[in-house]
Amino acid sequence: MLTLKEAGLKGPPYLAPFNAHIDTGELLVIIGPNGAGKSTLLGLLSGFHCPDQGSVHLDGRCLSHWPAKALAARRAVVAQKDRPIFAWRVEELVTLGAQGQVSQPWLHELDLTSLAERSVLTLSGGELQRVMIARALAQLDGPVLGTRYLLLDEPTSALDIGQQQSLMRLLRRLTRQYDLSVICVLHDLNLASSFADRIWLLNDGQRIAAGRPDEVLRAQQLAHIYRAELEDIPHPSDRGHWLALKR
Amino acid sequence: MNHVARPCSSTLPSPWRPGLLAGLVIALMAALLWSACTGALGLSWDMLSGNANATTWQIWWQLRVPRLLLGLGIGILLAGSGAAMQGLFRNPLADPTLLGMASGAGLAVAIWIVMLDGATGSLGLYGQFVAGFLGAFGVGLVIFAIGARAPGGNALLTLLLAGLAINTLAGAGGGVLAFMANDQQLRQLSLWGMGSLANALWPSVIGLWCCALIALWGLMRSRNDLDLLQLGDFTAHGAGLDTARLRRRVVLATALGVGASVALAGIIGFIGLLVPHALRLWIGPGHQRLLPAAMLGGALLLIIADGLARTLASPAEIPVGLLTSLLGGPYFLWLVLRERPAC
Repeated sequence: MLTLKEAGLKGPPYLAPFNAHIDTGELLVIIGPNGAGKSTLLGLLSGFHCPDQGSVHLDGRCLSHWPAKALAARRAVVAQKDRPIFAWRVEELVTLGAQGQVSQPWLHELDLTSLAERSVLTLSGGELQRVMIARALAQLDGPVLGTRYLLLDEPTSALDIGQQQSLMRLLRRLTRQYDLSVICVLHDLNLASSFADRIWLLNDGQRIAAGRPDEVLRAQQLAHIYRAELEDIPHPSDRGHWLALKR
Repeated sequence: MNHVARPCSSTLPSPWRPGLLAGLVIALMAALLWSACTGALGLSWDMLSGNANATTWQIWWQLRVPRLLLGLGIGILLAGSGAAMQGLFRNPLADPTLLGMASGAGLAVAIWIVMLDGATGSLGLYGQFVAGFLGAFGVGLVIFAIGARAPGGNALLTLLLAGLAINTLAGAGGGVLAFMANDQQLRQLSLWGMGSLANALWPSVIGLWCCALIALWGLMRSRNDLDLLQLGDFTAHGAGLDTARLRRRVVLATALGVGASVALAGIIGFIGLLVPHALRLWIGPGHQRLLPAAMLGGALLLIIADGLARTLASPAEIPVGLLTSLLGGPYFLWLVLRERPAC
C-alpha cells in the first residue's frame, strides 16, 4: 500500500503535508486548477521529489529506501511533458524499462499494433500519449508480488473523446483485473466523475478535499476554487452528477 | 499483470545488428592495414615479414604502430563520448566540445606551452598530457558542481549554459595566451590546435589507452541507462534510473577520454558530433547498438582521415583535424539542409 505520512514539500514547489493512503485496485483522480500542485504531488508519490517533511511509504518502507529497480517493478509514471527526441520505433520504446519482452499485449490493449514499426517522431500527440502509457504498463508487467501503482499526469490531454473513454475504461478494467492502482491527474472533471473511485482536490499546494466523486465534485466548492461559474447536472445513472460551465 | 516474464532487454534485437558491427570491424581492420602500409615511406607486408632492415622496422614499430593505436583510441573515445553526450543531453547536436571539455583541455595545454614554456624530456612528454587531462577533468568537475546545484528539471539546461560560458572563457584565455606567446610557441600552439596524430610515441599511447579503457568502461556501463533517459527525467526516474549517477558517470568518463585525446592530438573536430549522428540515422537511437557502432565508426573515420593526412601532401603532412573538419563541415550542412530535426 502507498502511504503518505504527513508528507509535504517546503518548496518551491510547495505542498502542504497531509496523511493519505491509496488502496489496492483503486482509480484515484487528482484534480485542481493550474498550479495547484497536482504534478508535484505525483512527483512526491513516485519518489521523484523527496519530501522535506514526513515520508512516503510503499508497503511500510520509505520510497527512498527502495532499490530503484525493485521500485520500478512496482510503480511506473507517465509524465505530461516528456517526449522522446530521437526516432525510436514504437515497439522499441515500449520495451524501455520493461521487465521482459512484453510489448505486444500492451500495444494491442492500447490499439497501437498498427503503429508498432512507426517512428515515435511521426506520431500525433494522442498516439504518443498512448505509446507512453503502453510503455508504463509494460514496465509493470512482471512476476513481482504486491500492488503495482501507475501514475499518470494528464494522460487524456491530447486524446479525442473516444480515446479518452477507451483509455479510462482500460485503466478501470486493469485496476479490477490485476493487482494495480492508478493515480491519475485529470483536468476534465466529468471524466473524473465518470471513472474515479476517489478524487483528491488540490488548491494552492493543499489537499482541500478527498472522497468519492459525488462528495468532492460540488459546483459551489469547485466554482470558488476554479474561479468559474458552474452548475450541477444530474447524471443519467445514479452516479453523482456532471458539471457544466454556465454561459 | 503478468503476460510474459523473460530476461530483461532494453531494445529489440535487430536482424542486421551483428552484420553491421561485423562490417564496421572488417572495415576498420582494412583501414588499419592500409594506413599501416601507406605514408611517406610505403611499406608492404613482404618488407616487414621477410627482409626488413632496421630502419624499416623502426619506422613501423616506433612511428606507424603507435600512431595507429593513438588514432584508434582517440577515434573510439571521441565518437563514443559524442554518442553518450548526445544521449545524456537528449540533443543530437551535443558533443564533448559542447560542455567545454575539449576547450578546457585545450586551454590547459596552451597554458602549459606558453606560461610554463613546454619543458623537455619526459616532463615535456607527459606534461602536456597531464595538462590536457586536468583541464578537461577540471571542467568536468565545475560543470558537475554547477549541475548538482541546479533544480532537477533545469539541470541539463544549466549544464549546457555552463558549457557555453566555459567555451567562451577558454576561447578568450587561448587568445590572450596566443598574444603572449613567442613565435615558436605560437607555431606549436597553432599546429597542436589544428589536431594531429604526429606526436604518437609509445609512452603517450600507453597513457592514452589506460585512460581510454576506464572511460570506455564507464560509457559502455551506461548504455542501458542512456536508453531509459530518453524517456525524460521524470519518466526515467519512474523506470528505475538514477539520473544523477548516470550524469556523473558519463561526464567523468567523457572528461577522462576527451582530456587525454585533446592533450595528445589537439582538438579533432566533428568526429564526436557526426559519427553518432550519422549512425543513429542508420541503426536507430538505442545505445546498445549505437555506442559500440559509434566507437568503431569513429576509429574508422579517424584512421582513414589520418592515412589521407599523411599521404595527400606527402612527404608533408596535413593536420588531421583540418581534414575531419573539411569532411565533417559539408556533411553537417547537408544534414541541416535536409531539415530532419532529430534522428
